[in-house]
Order: sequence, then structure tokens, then C-alpha cells
Amino acid sequence: MKPKALQNCGKCGLCLSVCPVYKISNQEEASPRARLQLIKYYKNENLLSSSGLKEIISKCLMCGSCKAICPSGIDHYSQFMEMRAQMRKDHGEKSAIKSLTYLLAKESRIRLAAGAAKIGQKIIPQNFIQKYNLGNIPLKRFPRLNKKPFRQAVPEIIQPDRNKKGTLLYFTGCATNHIFDKTGFSTINILKQMGYTVIIPKKQTCCGIPMLFHGAGKQAEKNVLTNIKCLDKEDIKAIIVDCPTCGTALKDEYPALMQRLDKDVDAAKRISSKVIDIMSFIIQESDLKNFSNSIDKIKVTYHLPCHLKNSRKTSNNTEKILDKLDWIEYERAIDVDECCGGGGTFFYEYPEISKKMMDKKIKNAKNTGSSIWLTDCPVCRINLSGNLKRKDKITVRHPVEIINNVLFNT
Amino acid sequence: MLNLKIRNPLLKIVGKERLLEKPEELACYSYDAYFEEAMPDMVLFPVTTQEVSAILKICSTHKIPVTARGAGTSVCGASIPARHGVVLCFSKMNQILETNTKDRYIIVQPGVVNIDIQKALEPFKFFYPPDPGSMNVSTIGGNVAQNAGGPRCLKYGVTADYILGMQVVLASGKIVEFGSRNVKDVTGYRLSGLFCGSEGTLGMVTKIILRVVPLPETIKTILVTFDNLDDTAKSVSDIIGSGILPVALELLDKTTINAIEDSANLGLPVEAEGSLLIEIDGVKEACEKEIQKIIEKVETNGATSIQEAKSDEERDKLWEARRTAFGVFAKLAPDIFSEDVTVPASKVPEMIRKTVEITKEYGLKVGILAHAGDGNMHPMIPADKNNKDEWEKVEKAFVEIVKAAVDLNGTLSGEHGIGLAKTQFLPLVMSQDSIEFMSVIKAAVDPDGILNPGKFV
Repeated sequence: MKPKALQNCGKCGLCLSVCPVYKISNQEEASPRARLQLIKYYKNENLLSSSGLKEIISKCLMCGSCKAICPSGIDHYSQFMEMRAQMRKDHGEKSAIKSLTYLLAKESRIRLAAGAAKIGQKIIPQNFIQKYNLGNIPLKRFPRLNKKPFRQAVPEIIQPDRNKKGTLLYFTGCATNHIFDKTGFSTINILKQMGYTVIIPKKQTCCGIPMLFHGAGKQAEKNVLTNIKCLDKEDIKAIIVDCPTCGTALKDEYPALMQRLDKDVDAAKRISSKVIDIMSFIIQESDLKNFSNSIDKIKVTYHLPCHLKNSRKTSNNTEKILDKLDWIEYERAIDVDECCGGGGTFFYEYPEISKKMMDKKIKNAKNTGSSIWLTDCPVCRINLSGNLKRKDKITVRHPVEIINNVLFNT
Repeated sequence: MLNLKIRNPLLKIVGKERLLEKPEELACYSYDAYFEEAMPDMVLFPVTTQEVSAILKICSTHKIPVTARGAGTSVCGASIPARHGVVLCFSKMNQILETNTKDRYIIVQPGVVNIDIQKALEPFKFFYPPDPGSMNVSTIGGNVAQNAGGPRCLKYGVTADYILGMQVVLASGKIVEFGSRNVKDVTGYRLSGLFCGSEGTLGMVTKIILRVVPLPETIKTILVTFDNLDDTAKSVSDIIGSGILPVALELLDKTTINAIEDSANLGLPVEAEGSLLIEIDGVKEACEKEIQKIIEKVETNGATSIQEAKSDEERDKLWEARRTAFGVFAKLAPDIFSEDVTVPASKVPEMIRKTVEITKEYGLKVGILAHAGDGNMHPMIPADKNNKDEWEKVEKAFVEIVKAAVDLNGTLSGEHGIGLAKTQFLPLVMSQDSIEFMSVIKAAVDPDGILNPGKFV
């Protein structure tokens, strides 16, 4: 790491205005600027490593809003990831986070864990499920796992019925594979209808972001190399993601990581240039004429995930589609683009901060009067729906699911 | 660390949730947007006037330095605890106490962020004009302490022009109030003018009554380019001299525009040697007439392109570009020497010529950026503070720039303040007697010198 990169932080403080954690605490040490300064002091040996320092560095959603607004072009992600790795080395890691990064490092472990968790969901006594929380989320409001991993439930190659337009790779991510298979089925259905051949590479595995963000870069390396190998294909029109965080990984972090590892950067860049989220792909390739329907309008609201907002310039594509579909009445919540406090494992590690963010989101979503709350990110989805109560009568879905339900699945 | 005799009573006032004392926490309050740093011994987050008063009583008994902080965006080091001691951070004392657009005022606590005041007023179609570049994050307490300006202060005036009344806690812990909810009020000294801009050296402002004004019916924004800086600057003095009063008249040179464009990709005119961002507001018909007059003036001065913002989005984009200017310079070098000299509008062309000459002479790079309509210059010199030779040149060039401004009837700082950055340069613009008079006032309200010591008085 070049220390110059840190010195270039002009300490202007613009990042404070977008940092979700700073907005809740109004304390400088919760800000991206503070984290950068602390990293600098630590590197210059003006500040000793301590568990308190680790806490400050960890209390961050890794939402990327600071990086997106920084006029000095600081790459906060890299700085934070590297420092998190150092802190993990100095002070160890909470056992829950350690097991998570261990699990995600190998596809067979993910499968095993998902299987065990599914059995777990069946055998955990009902009174336990009713009573206990993970963070602020009651266990009973966690989503059920897929009956069968999504990628095992579909063929590797799916052909469209007519007018073949080209071939796409679909990177499903862990959430679609193990929790939200409807998102996967819907995505495939929509792409088929649009006339594309969809290939779902069997060898793909966790994108590695959860490990990278928790400072377990070594564990992530293998995943990254595996994914690059199965995604770097010729004659592919695009690589579709349904999860904004996987998108961030493939688009931004893979090239940066390969650069650091001094490995095949070009392959990572080829992949990066083809990665696109499903909603952006829809609006890029279709005038939405085929997406029209004469049913009574369905009122929906939306939550814009940080990793969609910050990593690409395509951030408002889902909203554009919602505005254009003639069978949707889109009610924008005033804080549509504010972070929900999910942040991977943040909701579990810092429930008191997460709750404050969530309470605002729920209040404003309710104010729209919609019973359907759409969002693209699986962690946001778990967080939003987990914090809602049954009496709120709001269901949270990926936008592709409602499109598929109304247009193609009937 | 403060000794326990002081620490424990302070802890009792705010509780452990609002007291910081671990090194990794304190380090986060050792800096602001200026380039020097100093560690505090303790950080406290008061939320009521009574807490501020109790804290100051203890600190003045034990002669502990107290430095106020809001969001820490001062560019002159005003919130750096130069003599250590206690940092009093007002970021949690952030309630809007009353919004009354019928009587045209809003009452706020010091930790309210400038943009949140705007958001509170918007539903009533009102606004609070001072708009420092940091307005999305800086607190009103900081704005008041620094008498913050901003682009639209050309037409609307600076922070001091909007203070109707305030509550201040003095070093002794005594709480004083003056002013009222009335625009007209000559009851006693106008002390808001004394405390506003005092950079936390005279007292802690704990409540502010601000004047607010209705949002204009129409806003028009244009971006004009020129192929030399002289024509650009001459247009400025011509427009101001013609009797039109724009909301804002911002000048950006090629270096600045390019730095912004590299960072933000907004499609700015990177070829132009000089650009003017001009905004007017008011009644629609008047705006149209005025913009025509402005266009005539810039065309006479050889404008190469004139582009009008067609939508709020386009307008936001232009202003976003201007607001990030300070930050983008940080990309060019590790440190930025940001200047703030101000001259009468008619002297802007000459001041720009001199600035370019001086920096050239020392072989320094310079970006010219200015709230040109009110002569508030922000030349920015990217440099490396660790490079001794270079930094020496920067300092020498700075002294010459200030002298040039003074020769043109200008002044040392238009809106950034003195803080740590410019204390040593005060004698360039103020007589010894005038400086001593400030010390007399300081000694009267803060006899032990505990409030923000190490700054300009």
C-alpha cells in the first residue's frame, strides 16, 4: 500500500455526509475519514494496535458510499480490507465471523452448511424459533432455505423458445442458490422470454466479498480464481448478476485483487466489462413493450441497495423500470437510497445501530401505503423483511420476482 | 490524560457514553480539514446548555483548554485542539427547536447540520442562504463560529447577516443571551457580530436564532467559457459594475475544471482557460432580462460558449462540480495550500494576474478558483508539506499573494477564517493597536485564555 494514497485524503469531510453509521452516531470515529486517519497513524506507528481500534475499523457497513463521493479518489474498500486483515491478525475474530469466512471459502462447505441449516430449521424446537433473535431479527422471520440448491435444480444450459439473441452467463451468488431460488427461476424465465441462452456455470462459487470484507483475503483468493476461470468465456454477451454485492465483487474488486496478487488482471477485466445486474440488462436490451400488462395496477415501493447505488452508474435502473411498467404504481419512499443497516453481517454485529437505520426505513416504507417492498440485494431483503412485523402486511421481494409472476408465470 | 480530580466530575456531567478518552478515539478529534494536528486529552459531547455551562465551570477552575468542534471541516484549523485539553463536540446537540416562517426565523442548536436547516425550511418554501462548500456536513455552530460564507453570499450576505439572536456560554460557565426574534433590534450592543466569527475563542454558542428568507420563484444558472483568464476576470467586474446582483458568480480556471472533470466526469469544458458559473434568481421576467444583460457582457468580453442549465438536475451537476473543487485538488498532491484572500470586485482581474505571476515565479502549480463576484479568491496550490524546499516556496508565495491583495485594498481571509493557518499574517492587514484591542476583548470574557488557545488572539 502506498502511504501517499492516505496522505491524499484532504480530510474535507464530505464522506461524513453520506456515511450511514456517522449519521446515526454523529461521532467522528464512526466516519470513513476517521478510519483513514487511524490507519495512517497505525502505519506511521503513532497509534498502537488495540481491540478498540479493531472495533472502530469493523464498525462499518462497507457500503462504499464514502468511496463513491470522495473527491480525492481514495479507494476506501482496499484501505479498510487491508486494515481489517491486519486487525484480524492482531486481535483475532469473533467466532461467528470466523466460521462464516471458513464456510464460504469452499463450495462443498457452503452446501454442507446450507443442508445442515435446513435440517436445523426443521428440528429447532418451535418455542426456540419463536423466542430468539439474530441481531434484531427474530429467528422466525428468517427466510426458509431452498428445498434444493438452485443450481442443482436447473440445467447448466437453458435455451430460449424463440428468436435467439445470444448467450449469457448467470452468476447466481450464494443467496439465490441457497435461500431465494425464486429470484433465480424468475431471472432465467425473463432472460428466456427476452430470447437469450442462459448458461449457469456449475463450478461457480461464493464471490468472496464476505471474506474480503472481513479481512480474510487469503480465504477469498481461491474463490476468486475459481470464478474467474469459469466466467472468462468468449462469445458471451454479458454476465448477469442478481445480487448487487456479487456485482461489486466481479466488477470492481476482482480486477483490483488480481492486480494485488499479480495474477491474470486481463481476465478479471474482461469479466468486469461484461458484468451487469439483471434490472440494468432488462432496461438496456428492451423497450419494455413486451413487459406490459392490462391488470389492475400493483402498488410497490423500493429500497435501493448501497452496492447498487455506489458501484456503478446504473443505480437508478430498477426505479426507471418501475416507473415505466404500465401495471405498476411506484410509490417512492423519501429515503429510498438510505442504507438499511444490513451490511453483510453488520446487522448481527451492531444491532443497536442497525435498528436505528431500519426503524426509519420501515416508517417511510409504510408511509407509501404499499404492500410490496422491492429490493435487489439479498442481505437488504433479509434485513428489511426480518425487521417487519406480521401486522405490517408488507412482503419484500426481488424486482424480477414480481415481473415474472405477473407476466410470465401465470 | 486529565487527572482524575477533573475527569470524574466531567464524567458525571455527560456520562460514559458521551465521553471519549482512549487514544484511538482521541486521535479522531486531532484534525479537521486543515493540515496540522494536535491530540485532545478528552472529548465530550454535551447535549444541553446546562451541560456546557457545567463543563466550562470545571475547565475554567482548573484552567483546562477547551476547543469547540462541530463536524470538523474547518480549513484553517479552527477546531484543532492546539493546546490539547478538552474537545467539546457539539454534533449531538442537534435539535431544531422552532421553525417559524411566518415570522421568518428558525431556532437551532449548534450541532444542526446546515443542510438539515435547508430541509426543514423547504416545505415552507423558505431557505437559509449561507452555503459554505461543506454545507452537507458542517454544523451551524461551526458556520457561526467561522462566519461562514459560500457562493450565494454574493447576493444574500454571510452568516453574520442572518443571526437575530444567540445564547452563549462564557468561559466562566455563565450563560448569556442577546438579540431576539426580531429583525429590527437595537437593544444593547450587537454582540452576535462579536461572537460570530470569533472561532470559539470568546464563548460557546449553544442556541441560535437565524433569519430565513423565501425561496425565489425562478433560478437561472449558466456556465460561460473563455479562451483566456483575463477576459474571464474582466467579465466579472463588468457584470458586478453594471448593477446586476447575481446570486453567485464563480470563476474556475483550466486547472481547476480539469481536476474536477478527472474526478467527476461531468462533461465540463476542459479546453477553456477560464469558466464562469453564474446564477441569478428572483421573479421570472426579471431573471430573463438580467440573464440577457449578463450574456451581453460576457459576449463583449469574448465568451466562447454559453450553456444554460435546462433542469434542476443539470443545475445540481454544475454546483456539485463547484462544491467538490477543494477535495479534487487533494488528488494532485498530498497537501493543498488553499488561499482565501479577498479584494474588491473591480480588482479581480488584477488579483488573478498577480496570483499567476507570483506562483509562476516560485515554480508552483496553481488552480484559480474564486467566488469572483465578491472578490473572494481561492487560489489552491497543490504541494507536499514533507518536501521542505517546496513548502518554503509555498509559504513565501502566500505572503506575496496576501501583500498583493492588501495593496489592492483587499483582506486576508474572506470566509475561511484565521485559526492556526493565518495568525502570523494578521499584522499584514491589521495594525498593532487593532490586534491589541482584540486581545483586550478576549481577556475580558476569557481571562484565563482557556477557549481555543493557540488561535488568533
